[in-house]
Amino acid sequence: MNARETIVADEVPPGSISVVTEAGLVAPALVITVVIYLFPLLLLVRYSFNAFKPGEFMVTALTLENYVNVIVDPYYRAVLATTISMALAVTILSLVLGIPLAHFISRSVRYKKALILLVIIPLFVGNAVRAAGWMLALGEQGLVNATLIRLHLVGSPLSIMFTPAAVLIGSISVNIPFVVLTIQSVLEGVGASVEEAASSLGATPFEVFRKVTWPLALAGIRTATVISFILSMNAYATPVLLGGPGFQMMAPVLTDEILAKNNWPLGATLAFVLIATTLGLTWGFGRLRLRARP
Amino acid sequence: MSRVTIHSLSKYYGTSAVLDGFELEINQGELVVFLGPSGCGKTTTLRLIAGFITPSSGRILVGERDITHVPAYDRNIGVVFQNYALFPHLSVFENVAFGLRRRKRSETEIRQKVEKALDMVAMGHLANRMPRELSGGQQQRVAIARAVVIEPDVLLLDEPLSNLDAKLRLSIRQEIRRLQKSLGITTILVTHDQEEAMSIADRLVVMKDGEIQQIGPPQRVYAEPANTFVADFIGGANFLTGRVIDNKFQTANGLILAAAHLPPDCRSVVIRPERIKITSHHGSLDNAITARIANETFLGSGRIFDVRLQGGDTLSVYVGAGEDGQPSPGHDDVVLHIPAKDVVGIRDATARAEP
Repeated sequence: MNARETIVADEVPPGSISVVTEAGLVAPALVITVVIYLFPLLLLVRYSFNAFKPGEFMVTALTLENYVNVIVDPYYRAVLATTISMALAVTILSLVLGIPLAHFISRSVRYKKALILLVIIPLFVGNAVRAAGWMLALGEQGLVNATLIRLHLVGSPLSIMFTPAAVLIGSISVNIPFVVLTIQSVLEGVGASVEEAASSLGATPFEVFRKVTWPLALAGIRTATVISFILSMNAYATPVLLGGPGFQMMAPVLTDEILAKNNWPLGATLAFVLIATTLGLTWGFGRLRLRARP
Repeated sequence: MSRVTIHSLSKYYGTSAVLDGFELEINQGELVVFLGPSGCGKTTTLRLIAGFITPSSGRILVGERDITHVPAYDRNIGVVFQNYALFPHLSVFENVAFGLRRRKRSETEIRQKVEKALDMVAMGHLANRMPRELSGGQQQRVAIARAVVIEPDVLLLDEPLSNLDAKLRLSIRQEIRRLQKSLGITTILVTHDQEEAMSIADRLVVMKDGEIQQIGPPQRVYAEPANTFVADFIGGANFLTGRVIDNKFQTANGLILAAAHLPPDCRSVVIRPERIKITSHHGSLDNAITARIANETFLGSGRIFDVRLQGGDTLSVYVGAGEDGQPSPGHDDVVLHIPAKDVVGIRDATARAEP
């Protein structure tokens, strides 16, 4: 057995064995992805060029009508605009809140494990359940209003539920764990001593962040931005439960087309507009110059 | 380039003291080494001086200026880290220029000073490299240039050599010493390596458990250790316990040794292994003791012999390779000569606890 292995190792150029093994290891995941993800997606692309006739539902065709409708109809344009603005606002606020927290966790010694656990725990609760929790907290009789009234900060309850603000709060709570964990792991690698070196050389805390921490954590910040943006572009439960019927984002609207109106062609079209917009904007972020001068 | 005064500096975490009542004056241009095992508080002291952590009590003065509560970025103290801590996203040039840019110096001045600093550590030709393209020794040279280019009042080096291999350690050590002398910077170096400490220091500060054990020039700390910890930590040491009788030291096993200076209440003596001579005959010297060699260890530059004395005490003896009379174990009795001046009595709490 050993002798044979030795011969194989001698004859095969270095690296070949591991290439074969890696391909073998990747294969199952690749097959599953292609079968249950890529094929249906391609099918959906085809659907988006079909026609929809009330009474007959989907009719095989090759038309751009659905795409023209989505682009021309002010309703869908408004939905897309709302989705993009919400995703941008959620992402920016998640970063603003998440970066300091990630930095604090990465530099703490004694409470690091406990803090990471606190960040992770919300992930154990599904988005819908978490949104339901926010409904209780943000309602007119909810925890937030009760607290504000008791502290005499407001006279009558604020209407937070079923406003964009409620969606914003809910979405940030969904995204923050991802943002914090991504950036924290990168900051761990940056190490405290380069920051100390910078401050010993005369950099104020703000300069340390701008000249050292930010550029070194940039890879992580980019990843966190992309994750947060994609998550909120595609959010479903949070806008439906916290935004209410008057607040429309892409995922609930396209689901509605497919499930409630049985308009598969339009639903498919909306899905691809959403995917294309998300990919396009994500690619755009990647090209932003975020590096500071030395 | 200033005098540093540290007055009763302490650092507590909760109720445990990492540093307790640290008291030290460092002269202008002096190189002081904090030496001790890990956890002795030496790095904590350095970080307190750098301003990375704040003391629980005490004061730190540089010259006449009290910097105890001055933030790190306003202290003008250069720091060299164990892991170099170069900015990985900046070139060698920009790493060294970092402190000057924070001080808003002109582009011309920055270029001039950075080039001079890099030439000082023989790194001028690699100014455009990125840190990851440099070896460990080169990175540490850049880190030193980066710390001295700002003309700091004090230079702090935190175990600067411990990530380097043995050969490099020696050459960078000499480089640090040469640079420190030529620039005349008041310098504190932290290390756990006693050889490194002795070779580079003007004065040693030996620490243990957050407290200073002894302060003094390396030669004196080596020759007259204040306690068994210092004697044991710095160089090889033989300890014999016993008591003082008629100005001589009598060990627990009955061996009587003449000693040049013995505090009357001392309960142990230290004898350095290289001070003991092995011969084959009794001469007229002090402390000629019959012994038998139990074991030998070859070190390259010489040998360590474990010898058993007649009374039962054992000593280790170092004999350099070039010295005469190389004995070998198992032979007949040999005679040890221990000059009385090399039998050093020490006052020590831990020695008193021993039987």
